[in-house]
Amino acid sequence: MSSRTTISRITAIGGLSTAVLLAATACGAGGPAATSGSATSTVNVLVEAGGHAELTGVAEQCKKDTGVSANFVELPYDGMFNRLSSEFSSGNVSFDVAALDSVWLPSFKDAVQPIDELFTDEAKKDIFPALVKEANVDGHFIGMPAWTNAEIILYRKDLFDDAKNKADFKAKYGYDLAAPTTWKQYQDISEFFTKDGMYGTDVKGGVETEWLAHVLQAGSPMVLDENNNVVIDNAAHKDALDFYTSLVKSAPPGAAQVDWAAAQNLFNQGKTAMTRFWAHAYRQIPKDSPVAGKVGAAPMIGGSAGVAGVPGPWYLSVPKATKNSDAAKKFIKCAYDHNDLGIESSLGLASRISAFEKYQDKAGYESFKPLIETLKGQATATRPATAKWQQIVDTALVPMLQKAVAGGDSATLLAAAKKQIQDLLK
Amino acid sequence: MSTAETPINDRFAAEAAASRPRHSGVVSAILATGTKSSGATAGAAPTRALPAEPVLLTPAASGTGRPRRRNHHAEGLEAGKRSTRILLWIVLAAAMVLYGFPFLYLLFTSFKTPIDTIAVPPTILPKEWTLENYANALGRNGVLASFINSVQTAVISTVLSLALAIPAAYGITRYKTPSGRVFIMAALVTRMVPPVAIGIPLASMMASAGLADTPIALSIAHTTISLPLSIWLMSSFFEAVPNDLEEAATVDGCSRLGALWRVVIPVVSGGIAVTAIFAFLASWNEFLFALLMTAIRSQTTPVVIANFQTQFGLDWGSMTALAAVYSIPVILLTLLLQRKIVAGMTLGAVKG
Repeated sequence: MSSRTTISRITAIGGLSTAVLLAATACGAGGPAATSGSATSTVNVLVEAGGHAELTGVAEQCKKDTGVSANFVELPYDGMFNRLSSEFSSGNVSFDVAALDSVWLPSFKDAVQPIDELFTDEAKKDIFPALVKEANVDGHFIGMPAWTNAEIILYRKDLFDDAKNKADFKAKYGYDLAAPTTWKQYQDISEFFTKDGMYGTDVKGGVETEWLAHVLQAGSPMVLDENNNVVIDNAAHKDALDFYTSLVKSAPPGAAQVDWAAAQNLFNQGKTAMTRFWAHAYRQIPKDSPVAGKVGAAPMIGGSAGVAGVPGPWYLSVPKATKNSDAAKKFIKCAYDHNDLGIESSLGLASRISAFEKYQDKAGYESFKPLIETLKGQATATRPATAKWQQIVDTALVPMLQKAVAGGDSATLLAAAKKQIQDLLK
Repeated sequence: MSTAETPINDRFAAEAAASRPRHSGVVSAILATGTKSSGATAGAAPTRALPAEPVLLTPAASGTGRPRRRNHHAEGLEAGKRSTRILLWIVLAAAMVLYGFPFLYLLFTSFKTPIDTIAVPPTILPKEWTLENYANALGRNGVLASFINSVQTAVISTVLSLALAIPAAYGITRYKTPSGRVFIMAALVTRMVPPVAIGIPLASMMASAGLADTPIALSIAHTTISLPLSIWLMSSFFEAVPNDLEEAATVDGCSRLGALWRVVIPVVSGGIAVTAIFAFLASWNEFLFALLMTAIRSQTTPVVIANFQTQFGLDWGSMTALAAVYSIPVILLTLLLQRKIVAGMTLGAVKG
């Protein structure tokens, strides 16, 4: 037999054996299966990739306190909704606890269990009012807030403290340069710093939340009123939109395409003097950023209705299909009891007022006071509780905003958006 | 063992695949000389000499005493060909840059510092080179397990695709029945449906079958993507193998299956390699089914890479580092099978 043939045979046998071995051992390398088939002291927790870090400390503590351990199923945000829809609709879930974005609660309200017993009076007092309201769908609490966020003002302290800037600003506008407390001041400061390749602020045409916060500040519910009537064309929405687009001249070009990531990059690169951004970003400024250590935080500014922000909470829920409800609820109770452990994570957020207050005076957590003030704001409200909210955002609100920041007529655009949303809700 | 005593499968597997023009018996004669009816054969194709370089009519080559006008014409022709070649090289270089740049950018980004990765305007080369992103990415929980899962899934899916596609394609091309023609068209239907439309039902079916969160379930799902393409590819390769070759093998004592195994498959081994690569790549890079069907135990690397993008930010550096590492096995596999792939690509391309 030629050596060539022998090699050929050995290769074939080797390849086949490898394939058979792989197939035979193809039970996965990641650990135990993610099935929710029986009652055990281990819970599978489905989380968005960014939320995993938030719950790691909680999971360790929970194991010590109750003996319930957690396996995390980590998924990217963009795919999580599809995965949840798929598993909830099949009635066969691979997780016992799911971390749900607040906008998904109305969509999945029938697939998750009530957890009313966890919402004691004491708990309700320690959770921001807007979150208590949002967690209650059709008379039952279906999700415990695990962490929350809101937009605050981040500004360049070094530029604001610069003597020349202070003098020049006062000479031009007649008052002292300081963190803005009114939208007029915000406009002036934005205009002042728009020079020499730098911009005063950003305008985000790619996301809707910031404009909606202005709507709340102007005293209107966002897009839908309490009876689900579309009110997007009322005066408050128009004023908010006109103010929003008025900042375009003090913002980097291409506002229609600017989203959260772009705005955060611009600020961290030192291209903008101020940004309205989610509070967690304060602690996530890279150490090698030109603005590291030079950033100040201020509460979101109020309008005629007072201070308002749109919270971005995530809720822990228990699917109806799990057979491990008891352990799942124990885990959620742990997450509430040790909520402050999330603050030590890379995301650095919590949902309980007491957890934020515990850290608010510590160095490095200067963003917490403005965050608490914004979340407690009298006009602060969560997004409308409709299962079609994400569709409304994607097909009506964002395209409308993009046209508005590109110079479109606000009244016309709002009227068109109203019709579109009405059609969606039919 | 002498050549005459060597089993027919050994001889043809080794010799036909190596494309050596020395065979004995009827099959060998056909392999060496081409077919009786259809001219050049698939087996003979690789043995064919490459077309000779065009002979240019330079003054030296054309000898003396040719008319001067002809020399001018030849010089013009040569200059024209040279400029065409330069133009082709430019187009080739531009195409390479166009296709290669995204990967190069990914590679460079993986060596950038965090602030460098989000520079406005973006820079191509890192200002400061660092391996920090690789340490972060590879140190993340579950990355190694996801690599093992990706390999398992891709290998099982490739084996499944080939095991199903080879007999299917052979049957379709050899028997040429109306049902075969309908089948090969119907095989494309799964490619016409958006993956998300079959992903959710597939995930439910696998869960009902007790295969939730296993590489086997994901491999089966991936086979639905790669199988139609594999059948079509293998059909085109089998079409290029003349029936005479199999008839000759049966004359030499082979059964139909024996002829397929000992003669036809070695001849189309290049095509099998191409098909295997496509099936492997389809599974290796697949994201949606992996997202819907895997969790703790069988999550593959594409999902882990996507996890660097969260609602609260995007870790470009670590994401690109893991993507760069993940592309290494595929690059190595392609280089390893390069000769087979080229042979497979040209299989049946030359028809006499």
